[in-house]
Amino acid sequence: MNDDEALMLAIQGGDSKAYESAVRQHIKALSHYAYRMLGNSKDTEDITQEALLRLWTHANSWRADKASVSTWLHRITHNLCIDYLRKDKSKMTGELNDELESQDRPANVPEQDERLESLKNALELLPERQRSAIILSHYQGFSNKEIAQVMDISVDALESILARARRGLRAQLSDLQAS
Amino acid sequence: MTELERFEQLMAIHGSDIDRWPTDEQLPARQLLSESVAAQSLHNDQQTLDTMLDAIPVPPMAAMQRRIVRNLAAATRSSLLDRVLEWIVPRGGNVSSWAWRPALVACLPLMCGIYMANFYSFGIESTENSWQEELYLISMNDYAEISE
Repeated sequence: MNDDEALMLAIQGGDSKAYESAVRQHIKALSHYAYRMLGNSKDTEDITQEALLRLWTHANSWRADKASVSTWLHRITHNLCIDYLRKDKSKMTGELNDELESQDRPANVPEQDERLESLKNALELLPERQRSAIILSHYQGFSNKEIAQVMDISVDALESILARARRGLRAQLSDLQAS
Repeated sequence: MTELERFEQLMAIHGSDIDRWPTDEQLPARQLLSESVAAQSLHNDQQTLDTMLDAIPVPPMAAMQRRIVRNLAAATRSSLLDRVLEWIVPRGGNVSSWAWRPALVACLPLMCGIYMANFYSFGIESTENSWQEELYLISMNDYAEISE
């Protein structure tokens, strides 16, 4: 039995300490993923909390032979983000640079250069699936097989999405360098 | 598809870090990269993109994460009723615990009845008294028949 199985078995049995340990283990990756998908802190908090609550309430639906706990939780977060983006686009709380709470605000935010800002916007404007694929591949460090599991698509479909996303971003970057 | 086209496709799929490419593609890709100026140019562009993606920050979220942990701990803290229900119908566990616990719970009223009956007389004070009362009633009955 691996670590994931032991932890999930404990959570399935109602062990709140095991649950807290799993929350602490995954909260950073999930909140970063949600933030990069949604672009604001308020919605990130709601989605991350809901995803981690499902770790408790839906623990029995996790299958060791299907995916790791991390992949499974990213899939839950991904689905919540996509649902949110599709249903509540009009209610989006803010944009990528929303005002952070004082506790989370860094003391000194360096001026970001124009190219970085433009790339950030280009990433934000990518279609949901392309953005998700890039974030899971580049920032979350998942393999293509794992990303395909998170997004519930075939590896071939994922690779096509990733290629389109990277080519699109590279083209944007070339335009920026040319101008 | 030319070698360069194949190289560009793999880079678009896997990014600039050739170590993350499929193992059997790594050696030919490195070879092409060392020989072809066009491949080097493509690789540089992708490296620039990857470096810039790395530079896009995520704001500090420590306070938010602490708040989530606190909220989740409160949400999963069991009430007494939850704990009783959890004991009766466990979320995990084996089949036997599913079977015998509800049966045991069903027997609880019976056990309570036996326990209470052992402590309370429900108006019957003692066996001796009840016999005396019965004899008294019989004697009253006989007296009634004689008087008739």
